[in-house]
Amino acid sequence: MKAKILIVDDSSMSRRIVRGYLESAGHEVTEASDGVAALNQYTLEKPDIVLLDLVMSGMGGLEVLQKLRETDSHARVIVATADIQNSTRDMATQAGSRGFLNKPIRREELLTAVNSGLEGLNQ
Amino acid sequence: MIGLNESQAEALSELINIAFGLTAANLSEISGHRVRLDPPTISSHPIDGLADRLAAFEKGELVFVRQGFKGPFSGDAILCVNSEGAVKLSSILIEGPRQSQELDSSGAEILTEIGNMLLSACLGVFGNLLQLHVSISVPELHQGLLRQFLDSLKIADGDLRHAVVIDSSFKISDSGVVGRIAIILSVSSLERLIQAVDKWEGNTICAN
Repeated sequence: MKAKILIVDDSSMSRRIVRGYLESAGHEVTEASDGVAALNQYTLEKPDIVLLDLVMSGMGGLEVLQKLRETDSHARVIVATADIQNSTRDMATQAGSRGFLNKPIRREELLTAVNSGLEGLNQ
Repeated sequence: MIGLNESQAEALSELINIAFGLTAANLSEISGHRVRLDPPTISSHPIDGLADRLAAFEKGELVFVRQGFKGPFSGDAILCVNSEGAVKLSSILIEGPRQSQELDSSGAEILTEIGNMLLSACLGVFGNLLQLHVSISVPELHQGLLRQFLDSLKIADGDLRHAVVIDSSFKISDSGVVGRIAIILSVSSLERLIQAVDKWEGNTICAN
């Protein structure tokens, strides 16, 4: 299915790469460059899924994830980070993420994670 | 120098090889070029003597991406390239020559993210293999002379009187980009790292 996806990453390079992958698969993409903007945009735009970086200045990704899940317990979030630690993956999972991708992001892995994250939507 | 016995030195070298190897693999994937990595070395220096030692390799204006880390052991992971290499590296990512020979804001942002991917992967290997969690900070880009950069580290960490440097040079084939990856730890952090490496080595031997 085609989805509305919010990319949250403080790197414009990463946002640009991920946007290209998602749009080539027909998804509609919006972007936020920090955690506060991401929370505001989530409320306004109600994306189907959020692709969230963890290591960001200001509000970190894990805090964003927790706040998103407080705002909307059904929020669908996939974490995309350069931090490859298993412990970080565990923390993201415990905080409610539906997927975990390591940077550099590969197109097929991204689209598979997004499709998996969207399962059950509109059912 | 560093009080490592033979077994500890071998285990630490193996850990570093795995971590830096993954870093090189990521750099190769990002750049689309083969990356040659020199064998990592471990050396110990008074912080005031660090610039002299590293200056033998790095001259002139440099670009650094610095990523601090905290946990059972703490320190700084650093990606360092000369200014020309920084421009080339960022231009590889935008698939075309840059207009300017200087690193502009777009190039700086690209290089910061490259540093984030490489250094976080390297630190992540430490965390995964040693079964410890390391909190990785937001990457920072610095431009300037090596001595100025090292002075900023000293100011940021008043405890850093003596530093252990784990480093390796890399070269991206066909691009002329040459750089360096380094991890700088205080001696007390190195001691805690060695304890964790000892435990890892013991577990690995038991598992085999």
